[in-house]
Amino acid sequence: MTETPPPTTRARSAEPARVVVKHHPLVRLTHWVNVPVLFGLIASGLAIYWAAPVFLHPRDPVTGSRDYLVDLGAAVAHVLHDRGGDPRSWIYDHVSLGTGMLARALRLHWALAYVFMLNGALYLIGLIAGGGWRALLPRLSDVADARAMLRFYLGVVPMAIRRRPWPHPVIRSKYNALQRAAYFSMSVAGVLVILSGWAMHKPIQFGWLERLFVNYDGARIVHFVCLLVLGSFVVPHVILVIADGWDTFRSMVVGWSARLKEARHE
Amino acid sequence: MSERDPDEERAENEGMPPPRDAVNATGGGVPPARDDMPPTPGAMPSSGDATLRPEEGTSAEPPPPPPAPRPGFLAERPEVERDVPRRALAAATRRDFLLLAGGVLATAAGAWWLLPDATRARLVGMSGRDHLDSLAARVGLSRARRERTLDRALTFDDDVAEALTSPDRRVRTYARSEVTPLRNNFHGQTPGPEILAGWSLTLSGLASRRVERLPLATLLARFPLHGQVTRLVCVEGWSAVAWWGGLRFADLLAAFPPAPSARWAALRSVVSLDAYGRPEPYYVSIDLKTARHPQTLLATHHDGRPLTLAHGAPLRLVAPMKLGLKNIKALTDIAYSADEPADYWNERGYSKYDGL
Repeated sequence: MTETPPPTTRARSAEPARVVVKHHPLVRLTHWVNVPVLFGLIASGLAIYWAAPVFLHPRDPVTGSRDYLVDLGAAVAHVLHDRGGDPRSWIYDHVSLGTGMLARALRLHWALAYVFMLNGALYLIGLIAGGGWRALLPRLSDVADARAMLRFYLGVVPMAIRRRPWPHPVIRSKYNALQRAAYFSMSVAGVLVILSGWAMHKPIQFGWLERLFVNYDGARIVHFVCLLVLGSFVVPHVILVIADGWDTFRSMVVGWSARLKEARHE
Repeated sequence: MSERDPDEERAENEGMPPPRDAVNATGGGVPPARDDMPPTPGAMPSSGDATLRPEEGTSAEPPPPPPAPRPGFLAERPEVERDVPRRALAAATRRDFLLLAGGVLATAAGAWWLLPDATRARLVGMSGRDHLDSLAARVGLSRARRERTLDRALTFDDDVAEALTSPDRRVRTYARSEVTPLRNNFHGQTPGPEILAGWSLTLSGLASRRVERLPLATLLARFPLHGQVTRLVCVEGWSAVAWWGGLRFADLLAAFPPAPSARWAALRSVVSLDAYGRPEPYYVSIDLKTARHPQTLLATHHDGRPLTLAHGAPLRLVAPMKLGLKNIKALTDIAYSADEPADYWNERGYSKYDGL
């Protein structure tokens, strides 16, 4: 562009660095607080679920099980040749606090649930204060953009093997359509998990909320589905952050990115 | 919803780079700022920027296209770029990563501290757990303090619930056709029919300072029976809609008023048995506000028939605004008191409020 004399090394270190402002401090704080809190809520929640599973089938004459999670646990233990414990409680022993500790799990769950709600409120404040909420709103163009992103993700590995160029689709907003859909649905799942949690916890006081989920078991099912949605977000989220690189990870710690517009996916 | 800059759309569609002046003016920020648009706050030209800005270039170009409409309220704003002194940037980065590391350490310690003993033993083995436990106790994260902390979480939750409770709320009732099977979930054995002969309800802590013993026939003759179909919710998570019949606790309270200082009722079953069939009294605490609620019954009937032994014959509490574990079966004693009495499951780590 413009002809400027190359700066000396000394001047270069004194010259300011240009960064892109990414995440509000409250968004970063609540993001990291969410990691252990969600783990704890899932672990204690499944330990509560163990006491009275909502997804039941008629008693199996062989295993004596009525709980689909018991069946799944037994299958996993069988595949892994895990003989360490009771195969029927494999899921509860590995994904939850364990079996037979309802009182403890309930106390942990309430304590963490209040932290989660407070954290969610701080997140929303951070989203509004930093203006980040606009980047999370779904748009009409997202359908086509999401298809392009899916096509890109599916092609990354085959094209790398065939050594063919495989450019990233042009993204001109903070997030691509798939990210936006994921982050937006996380907020929705977060709100739903809190509402269905209150509907089960205080079904008389919040009778209107219980009716919103049809009945008591409706709230339990929604709560469980939210667990699956929130949990299944984590794996691709972590993989994609690792794939995207250090700058993306760092931006959630420090709040800025060194990737200027021209250096990014265009 | 998408409010992209029309210029950019065109550039993208035609496979052309964005206009040159736009790239220069914002240092590559998006969307391209024009002179007729208010500059975005983050794209404020800094000292280094101004030298790059071709002031003369804009006037020489053909007439600019009509100004883009202001972005809608919901439209995404361009990302803000900022020039930060490198030293300050490094300091802020160091600070944030140190904070993260501190948070990770605190979380690991806190998570270890809060985990149940059995879970910890499963994770690192008995001896490993004891090593880490003594380490944690050294920094003040003892088991006793953990129990106090978790108990406080429980009472905080109960205080929130009590603050939300409206005194005139009614429990949702159901049609008789919505009744579901009711299971007997009591952890002990069901007492035999011998408890029915000579059964009476003992009342103490009364304003009269007398101890009353009321046989079932007296209760049934003296108080009107009320029916209701309500949901019984267990602390474990299952629930059942059941049709109950019985006298109102409020009617008993009116006929035999408790001492003026009384705030609580201790409900006991001395005939209750443990899992091996040995006598093990069961007892719950009920606040008198709950006891006076019109939907709190001392039930004598279930499904239109006298209670079975499995469901608490001859008299049980049905307080549908409380968890099932408060709904004591085979009730034998009610003692009114000023202070909250003991509660069986509270002594085993559950809430003693149990309001729904």
